[in-house]
Amino acid sequence: MSVFTLPQAAKEAALVSQLSALTEHHRLACEPYARILAAAGFEKAETVADLPWLPVRLFKNLELKSIPDDEVFKVLTSSGTTGEVSKIYLDKHAAAEQTRRLGATVQTVLGPKRLPMLLVDTKAMLKDRRSFSARGAGVLGMSTFGRDHVWALDNDGQVDLDAIRGFLEKHGAQPFLIFGFTYLVWLHLYEVARDNGLDLSNGILIHSGGWKKLIDQAVSPSEFRERLAGVGLTNVHNYYGMVEQIGTVFLEGPSGGSLYCPDFADVVVRDPQTWRELPPGEPGLLEVLSTLPTSYPGHVLLTEDLGVVHGIDDGDWPGKRFSVLGRLPRAEARGCSDTYREAA
Amino acid sequence: MIKFRFGAQGDLTAPVDDRLTVGDQRVVDFLAKVARKLLAPAVARRHPELGSLGYFLRPAELHRAIARMQRDDAITFPRGNVFHVPPANVDTIFVYSWALSALAGNHNVVRISERSATAADTILEALNEVLTDADPVIGRTQRMITYGRDDAITAALSRWCDLRVIWGGDTAVEAIRKHPLRPSARDLTFPDRTSWAALSADGWRAASPAARRDAVVGFSNDAYWFDQAACSSPRTIFLVGTDTGDVRAEFVELLLEVVDQRGWAVDAAMAVEKRVNAYGMAATGAISAMSFPANAVTEMSLTAVPDAPRRWIGAGAFPFAEVGSLLDLVPAMNRQDQTFSHFGFTPSQLREFALALGGRGVDRIVPFGQALTFGSIWDGYDLPHEFTRLTTIA
Repeated sequence: MSVFTLPQAAKEAALVSQLSALTEHHRLACEPYARILAAAGFEKAETVADLPWLPVRLFKNLELKSIPDDEVFKVLTSSGTTGEVSKIYLDKHAAAEQTRRLGATVQTVLGPKRLPMLLVDTKAMLKDRRSFSARGAGVLGMSTFGRDHVWALDNDGQVDLDAIRGFLEKHGAQPFLIFGFTYLVWLHLYEVARDNGLDLSNGILIHSGGWKKLIDQAVSPSEFRERLAGVGLTNVHNYYGMVEQIGTVFLEGPSGGSLYCPDFADVVVRDPQTWRELPPGEPGLLEVLSTLPTSYPGHVLLTEDLGVVHGIDDGDWPGKRFSVLGRLPRAEARGCSDTYREAA
Repeated sequence: MIKFRFGAQGDLTAPVDDRLTVGDQRVVDFLAKVARKLLAPAVARRHPELGSLGYFLRPAELHRAIARMQRDDAITFPRGNVFHVPPANVDTIFVYSWALSALAGNHNVVRISERSATAADTILEALNEVLTDADPVIGRTQRMITYGRDDAITAALSRWCDLRVIWGGDTAVEAIRKHPLRPSARDLTFPDRTSWAALSADGWRAASPAARRDAVVGFSNDAYWFDQAACSSPRTIFLVGTDTGDVRAEFVELLLEVVDQRGWAVDAAMAVEKRVNAYGMAATGAISAMSFPANAVTEMSLTAVPDAPRRWIGAGAFPFAEVGSLLDLVPAMNRQDQTFSHFGFTPSQLREFALALGGRGVDRIVPFGQALTFGSIWDGYDLPHEFTRLTTIA
């Protein structure tokens, strides 16, 4: 069963009322959020684009939750570039719901059964406390949708060709799941498959983690797909998601090149000068909306990623289809208090 | 690795036979020639902030500074070796700090940031051009260098100097202070500072439209020149009087106009930075209202005077608070506060305010438009005095 079913008009009609209700819920349950709405003078949203957004970085600076302390079931953290950490508070319901919705989203492309899973990563990474939160949570979250897991990299992060071969011998004749971060898939799976003639044609690849490292090597998203197709891997789905909207992933459609929004989520691209919504084709700042954040006010977030909507109701699945173009650089001031960065 | 940007290459801490005097003519000549270069129209067009620096280095200004070093009750001498660690990105500070010290006859080593911007390069170019015809003693006694993270160099220069001048805020001061000085040496530190602006509602209402506009032009220079991030850049604006809503509205309207005319735009990253900070202050209750009439101007209403932020909250972010009189601000001011720029007050109101502060905060009280104008009295220090030592004869 797909979660990519609603045409844009029907989705917006549903989301504007659900997200408005969530706004009211968080206003009542989260005092800092209520203060923000009051200071901004927010009253009511008529459209999805009218809904009041929070800058995603607020979750790094503030404790924002809409549940009492004794109902906190899980606190998720993300490591930021400057060592700041987002804290996301989930109660039992929200934790269960995010797993369920994530499952429903990936099952759209995996089917209802759990598939044998090749993880393009190293088990050792789970033990590295520093990188655990971002990469480990992604791997752990996704690994529940597979079975008979095999790690493609050994504990030193080197390609474990024997393990990959063993996995393919056992499972390669039927559909199997491959999961990993985009640049790891490129470095450690694509090149290895090419050089060793591995048959990945029954694989369904789900990958994420940003394109920066690949673009540094001059590999574009379309080239990534083409080259993978060259080793038989044609079932490839990139996704975009963040810990601040855990459970919501924007998934690449079968024909590639665009991310799609599940029925319970949407994106708005904003002009960073006027802050108005931009029409398809014009790049701007990406805002993500989801009905999943019920335990913290993260249902409408302005990311620091740049994106562009390519089209509406004109792709593999209904709704908006879009791409993430990269990250907005962090603002830096010329100030007096900045010697320290290099002071010794 | 040390990269020499100015002056003779070689061992920075080796003893030098050269001696300069307080107000040494060779230094005065050198600085005066630098001033002429910086005041050249082509330079001033590219880097308006270098105009103020050029003005500061004119002979008349230099002689004023030298006069401040002389005393009736003692003979003044150079302090000796001075090691300057200026801030990375306020391009002109290193020259002010160094020039006053050179004028006092000191041997100087200035560490210039690797991240220094183009204005710093323009200054170094001018210094080096003048150096070719200058007395060679200048190059032998005055050195400017760049080096990366290197504790060994910082430690050696710290042991060498009689005075260490640390700009760049609390973190820089703490990092550099880990390196011991000689017992007789000391630090001159410029830690994190906060600066404010105050607008008298009565003064504003009494002022002509042209005077109001000039005030806003001056204020906007103060605020936008260094992205509102210099120690002296005003951040919070205190509206002094009663029912000041009309004054604030007109001030913001004029500010939007001036900023638009000057073409002071902020990029998307800065716009987001300001949203993050404003929303954060709203969340904690520090502000009760925020509006974003343009990306370059963020307007906020402080809930209470003590909530005025002391950290940088973005370029063109202005919290407002109303108080009945300047004296109401006295309890909120502290040692961290540096510049208090003002419009519409009488000299006696300002003097009364300064006396009530009693030296517990605020080093400079200056009109709008002069917040960034460097003076030889800075951060409460009389710099010409700091850069010299005294011998008494009885």
